[in-house]
Amino acid sequence: MGAPFGSFGVATPWLLWLLPLALLPLLRSATRRTAISAVSAAPADPLSAAIGAVLTVSGILALAGLIVALAGPYRAGEHVTRTGIGAQVSMLIDRSGSMNETFAGRQPSGEEESKAAASRRILGAFVGERAHDQFAVTAFSTAPMLVVPMTDRRDAVRAAISAIDRPGLDYTNVARGLGMALSQFGPAAPGVSRALLLVSDGAAVIDPRIQAQLRAEFAKVRPNLYWLFLRTKGSPSIHDKPAGEDTPQAAPERHLDLFFKSLGVPYRAFEAEGAEAVAGAVRQIEALERDPIPYTEIRPRRDLTGYAYAAAAFGLLVLVLAKLAEADFLRQGPHASTERAAPVARHETPRSDAA
Amino acid sequence: MSAPEDGADILYWPRWRPGGHRIGAHRGQQAGGLGTFRDTVGFLHLPDARRIDIRASLRDPFEGVAVRRFEARSPVETYALIDLSASMRFRGRADRLGLAAAFCAALARSATRIGDGFGLMAADGVFREDLYLPATRHRAAAGLAAARIGDAACAGTSAEGLMEAARRLAGRPKLVFLVSDFRWPEATITRILSALALHDVTPVLLADTAEDDGLPAFGLVELDDLEGAGRRLVFLRPSLRRRWRQREAARIETLRGLCTPFARPPFRLADRFDAEALTRHLLTT
Repeated sequence: MGAPFGSFGVATPWLLWLLPLALLPLLRSATRRTAISAVSAAPADPLSAAIGAVLTVSGILALAGLIVALAGPYRAGEHVTRTGIGAQVSMLIDRSGSMNETFAGRQPSGEEESKAAASRRILGAFVGERAHDQFAVTAFSTAPMLVVPMTDRRDAVRAAISAIDRPGLDYTNVARGLGMALSQFGPAAPGVSRALLLVSDGAAVIDPRIQAQLRAEFAKVRPNLYWLFLRTKGSPSIHDKPAGEDTPQAAPERHLDLFFKSLGVPYRAFEAEGAEAVAGAVRQIEALERDPIPYTEIRPRRDLTGYAYAAAAFGLLVLVLAKLAEADFLRQGPHASTERAAPVARHETPRSDAA
Repeated sequence: MSAPEDGADILYWPRWRPGGHRIGAHRGQQAGGLGTFRDTVGFLHLPDARRIDIRASLRDPFEGVAVRRFEARSPVETYALIDLSASMRFRGRADRLGLAAAFCAALARSATRIGDGFGLMAADGVFREDLYLPATRHRAAAGLAAARIGDAACAGTSAEGLMEAARRLAGRPKLVFLVSDFRWPEATITRILSALALHDVTPVLLADTAEDDGLPAFGLVELDDLEGAGRRLVFLRPSLRRRWRQREAARIETLRGLCTPFARPPFRLADRFDAEALTRHLLTT
């Protein structure tokens, strides 16, 4: 809870100038007034006095409620910082064309699902399970694409992840994707665990000049780096040394792995050759990233008009009940009208004659 | 002017023997021509040969001549003193001021019919000169003055002007009807009644069954004092109604006690004016 009053406001403040009208029930009352020759004829009665006070308060409540409701009260939105278990996770997802193939390297048919679909399913579950994580999603192929910036809006992240099995694009340009994924973390916050999850099914050569930049970035952000390598059956593993020359061009996966190892940040690579392996890797990542994280909860601006109307309705209800309980003081009893009529008719005559 | 449908007359019987030489309807102090036998006096005292009482003269051992005397019938003056404080505006089962006007009309008719004078004084905080009628036997004037009461404006919050009315009534005893709802402080009642003590005073208490017996058993009523004592919300229920009626009864009993030294017991005029009931009250008290 924030400050008790600081966070409240109204949409149309000038209407509040009408609030003094709410004091009108102190001067007038809703009940029908019965003129009587002497009020002192009625004996003192505490219950009546209490009912009178309740009716006055109800009148004030009804008027004040209506005026406040017309003014449109709300509680301003606010950011509440809490501490939960989780991490800032920046996901970097490969959108190259090969992601649309199955783990067997074919176009998916029938029951088979593509690498993209499998990672979408498993990452979606990953996002759903973690209550206080913040996620950013970046896709990359030839160029990186900012999908969702670092946020704790679960729905946005899930929507971003469910979009990653759209048909992929061209090639795999890891370096620029990494740069953008790192930039997602924003300024450093103390005690926040950060994780960069790279999901790809291949690797590319990283230009040595960009390598230096990336190193500097990694040194600054210091995320835990996880590489979920969706390995197509038959393609080289990240640990396989090529038969020929051991250059980045010949075995980009192996050299990317080596590059990551040389960064000096906590790093793990998961090589998954099927949907189950991917799920297992994600479970491991999930188990690793369990640190306290301060997270911000946004309490949205909340409309309080309903409460004001409810208060007014309550006051009006009390007044209506009082109105229904009103007794006809002078004109009750079956003979009242005839008794009234008779003497008037009789004694009106001399007066009208005289006039 | 006084049509038969105007209703019964108010019959009254003054407590004192009115003096004066005018001929009226009530047993007077003076002896005079026709009427009820009063006594016999010597012929020299009343040399009226037409009324020589032969039997009494023969019975007299001193052989004096006795003459019969008869009571003279004398008129009285009746006055209606109307309280015009704001509480007289009350309308319950009946219009309170209308009741007062009906009473005045009946009294004006009854008094002028038998040759008595009818006068009218009204007062709120001050004496109301516009409604003042000195006692007159003029039937139309009396009726007009009585009719004016029904349309009178009453806005004052006290009846102090009645003290001035009491001063104007000084002189011979008169038959005075003090018409009010007597929602006055007890001291005021005593003061006004003691100022009128020389006269034959009948307090006419204007009441309304809506104010006591006719109270509803249940319900909310917001009472608004006609004399400006403020508003009050009252939740009527049988227990409160019982207390209310007890209070009203106690008030009338107190008024009766206050009237005893100075006046006849109050006559309660509620809802409709009944001349016969007033006659019964006047002849039995």
